[in-house]
Amino acid sequence: MTGSLSALTSLIMLVPLILFMFVMVAISVFVRHKQAGKNFVSSYFVGNRELGGFVLAMTTVATYSSVSSFVGGPGMAFQVGFGWIYMAVVQVTAIFLVLGIFGKRVALLARKLNAVTVVDIIRARFQSDFLAAVAAFVIVLFFCGTMTAQFVGGAKLFAAVTGYSYEAGLILFGLTVVIYTSIGGFRAVALTDTCCAIMMMIGIVLLLKYVLQAGGGYENIMTRLEITNPELFEPFNFGNMPWTIYFTQWLLVGICTIALPQSVVRGISYKNTQGLHQAMLIGTIVVGFMNIGINFTGILAHGVLSGTAADYGGVDNIIPTTIVMAMPIELVGFAIIGPLAASISTISGLLIVASSAIIKDVYLHWAQKNNRVVTSARVKFLSMAATAIIGAIVFMIALTPPNLIWLINMFAFGGLETAFFWTLLLGLFWKRANKLGAMLSMTGGTIIYCAAQATGFKIFNLHQITIGITVSLILFLIGSYFGKSSDDETLKIFFPNHS
Amino acid sequence: MKQNNRASMNDAQKFSLVRREAIYTGLALVGLIIFWLIAGFGTASLDVKIFHLPLWAILGSIGVWLVAILISFVLSKILFKDIDLGGDDDGR
Repeated sequence: MTGSLSALTSLIMLVPLILFMFVMVAISVFVRHKQAGKNFVSSYFVGNRELGGFVLAMTTVATYSSVSSFVGGPGMAFQVGFGWIYMAVVQVTAIFLVLGIFGKRVALLARKLNAVTVVDIIRARFQSDFLAAVAAFVIVLFFCGTMTAQFVGGAKLFAAVTGYSYEAGLILFGLTVVIYTSIGGFRAVALTDTCCAIMMMIGIVLLLKYVLQAGGGYENIMTRLEITNPELFEPFNFGNMPWTIYFTQWLLVGICTIALPQSVVRGISYKNTQGLHQAMLIGTIVVGFMNIGINFTGILAHGVLSGTAADYGGVDNIIPTTIVMAMPIELVGFAIIGPLAASISTISGLLIVASSAIIKDVYLHWAQKNNRVVTSARVKFLSMAATAIIGAIVFMIALTPPNLIWLINMFAFGGLETAFFWTLLLGLFWKRANKLGAMLSMTGGTIIYCAAQATGFKIFNLHQITIGITVSLILFLIGSYFGKSSDDETLKIFFPNHS
Repeated sequence: MKQNNRASMNDAQKFSLVRREAIYTGLALVGLIIFWLIAGFGTASLDVKIFHLPLWAILGSIGVWLVAILISFVLSKILFKDIDLGGDDDGR
């Protein structure tokens, strides 16, 4: 399709995307300039706790919504039908749950403890450097997996739509996100995420409009689908959409997402509770709009594509092919900003937390413990370098992408949830939660989860998150029962009602 | 008056308020899950279509979204209270 385009047309097509990336870098440079003179660690890793409601909502949604929400998801909706939307809509819980359950508690604790990261809070709650180190390790490890999937997904989409090479796409948006995150830190991530979320919504509306137009209108597409694809109108897709998928999704992309460190850290970053309340509402509106909008567009793509998903090389190619076939050439460059924005906003959110895990949670803590003086210039240099190096490593992995990258993405998601769900939920809301319980839960749960993934072991054919989350709960309870209680001083900080 | 009360809350009061709000959020989740089950699977056997869409698909997607928005509204505007996050007024 794109092979017939002249070189000039292809280049013109890229102009909106290049401009968008330029704006992202400009925002980060501006933020860096504005933050000069403020406490570097706090401003770089948590934006000086200055986020307002709208930006908090957008950055939480944008980090949560990945490129797979825009490519793999609607591709599956194309194949499965309305059952897929019914399943995906459980994600509307993600924002009000994380902000409602952890938002204020984490904010109060962060201010009391002068904490900048989620690991800071875990360290203080369980008084364990070992647990903090494990948490930082788990974050970096699984985040690298997720970020690789985002790079690969974005670059594949770029190549499929524009006709340029996979590597060119990776360089264009991959390097941009590493550069702007390294320069601007969390505040830049939040602001660019906001731009990304807005572009995602515009992208969905545009694509929907042109899909309806190319398919001869809503009435026409749906009437045809009712006759040719009746399975799309059944919640179980005539047996292709088992209940186990619904159940698993509630855990994997619904309930358990509240403990994802990249989401919880947003609780440290906002300015006041008015902003938090506003963000809960705005975030829920936006996440539902994106979810339903893009997946419904995936189903309506039947009006543009006459074959099955396999005819187009699999579900991941449905949206790229639809963009190319339904949208006017001059808008294609604009249309791919949405999915690529989903990719870079997730990468930036993960990158800054991974960097904070290494610099703040490991290095600075080590330096403080050993009475090493670290100048602020050195902290600044190391923080930016760590962000850039992690980004560069993931970028290099993505240049030669491993197989089954989407499985790696979901594997990482489940791993993070297994490691952090009970540690954070019980740690922050249950006095009897203690160090032994958290250690057993985080290490044992994650190891068992990884082993179940590696061996393909499942119970009732459910995703291994069910094994991970159950084992980590059992281990947490065993540890908390047999282990020593947290000391009074710690309990007074985390549970001021404690007597 | 209420604002003053909130501003003068001590740490213990703030934390118990936050705990109560977390419980509200958890209960809201349970309510949404029940609605999701009834709206989708519960109506899947009905042969009703609106704008070519089966009733279960509308209730199970847009319906769930609207209820989630309503929940977020009730939580954030009615049940949740503004507090000072400063942490300096813990009275200790």
